[in-house]
Amino acid sequence: MENELKQLIITSLDLEDMSVEDIDSQEALFNEGLGLDSIDALELGLAIRKKYDVRIDAEKDDVVKIFASVASLTEYIESEQAKDQ
Amino acid sequence: MYQDFIVQKWSIWPPLEGQESDSLAQNELLSFVPKMLKRRLSPLARIVFCAASQCIEEGTYLPAVFSSTHGELAKSFKMMEMIEQGEEISPTAFSLSVHNSIAGLFAMAYKNKQQCVVVAPGEEGLAAAFIEAIGLLQEGVDDVLMVLYDEPLEAFYPSSPYKLSMATSCALALRIGKKGFGTSLRLSMQSEVGDDGEQPLQVPLMIQFLAGKQEKLILQTPRHSWCWEKR
Repeated sequence: MENELKQLIITSLDLEDMSVEDIDSQEALFNEGLGLDSIDALELGLAIRKKYDVRIDAEKDDVVKIFASVASLTEYIESEQAKDQ
Repeated sequence: MYQDFIVQKWSIWPPLEGQESDSLAQNELLSFVPKMLKRRLSPLARIVFCAASQCIEEGTYLPAVFSSTHGELAKSFKMMEMIEQGEEISPTAFSLSVHNSIAGLFAMAYKNKQQCVVVAPGEEGLAAAFIEAIGLLQEGVDDVLMVLYDEPLEAFYPSSPYKLSMATSCALALRIGKKGFGTSLRLSMQSEVGDDGEQPLQVPLMIQFLAGKQEKLILQTPRHSWCWEKR
């Protein structure tokens, strides 16, 4: 799942010159690290909603923690999907 | 009434003698743009940057006047198509679809914190941007960067009988000032009326005028004419 999510990040955020290997699962996605910004957060939120049917709510969820890294995002998506089953 | 100013430098993109693939030259001109910002540049933003880059020296920051009849309308159109299909629209595309989005990207990429105006000139054509830029000169600014740009209008929009689109995209950048070396021009308004079309049709005529020996360029609008004269 982590690799699938990395691929989603690359395609949905126009990072075409990057590959899955360039993204470290533990690395920070925003500011330092990969260097994504607030628009990317919205875009990625939309892409995740479309692909996994998981909604990340800025009002209710701890967005900073969820979006911290590929690892934390994966964990969140998997736990939300488990709830639905 | 007339206004005098000097065109210190001007440049266009794509080049007049353009080859089929200008993408290499384009990449070179855009090499200073950070990668994370470059991915946000639309084809139209790229030609604006390429034209402007040739008019600016590194480390100089100029107030800027941008002028475009249609701006990023193609982007808005694509989003409306997505809405029609019941799809959610991209926040990135939405944020970059407004008329001043290219000017915003320009300020970020060039680290230019000078004032900046974006004009949607309608039937006045490119005179509107000149008036804005001359106004800045009169306020005491030394030089102003102007960028006039448009891409072809989506065929969806019924534009006839108005003349407001060309078949190809084009960006013209000028650096004008009160002083300095260059071509001295005088801009005046005249009473003849006519219809030379809106900015997309006027830009090629302005390029011809700047590049050639022609003494005067008169562009007629339904309300009056604008005359640029070499002095």
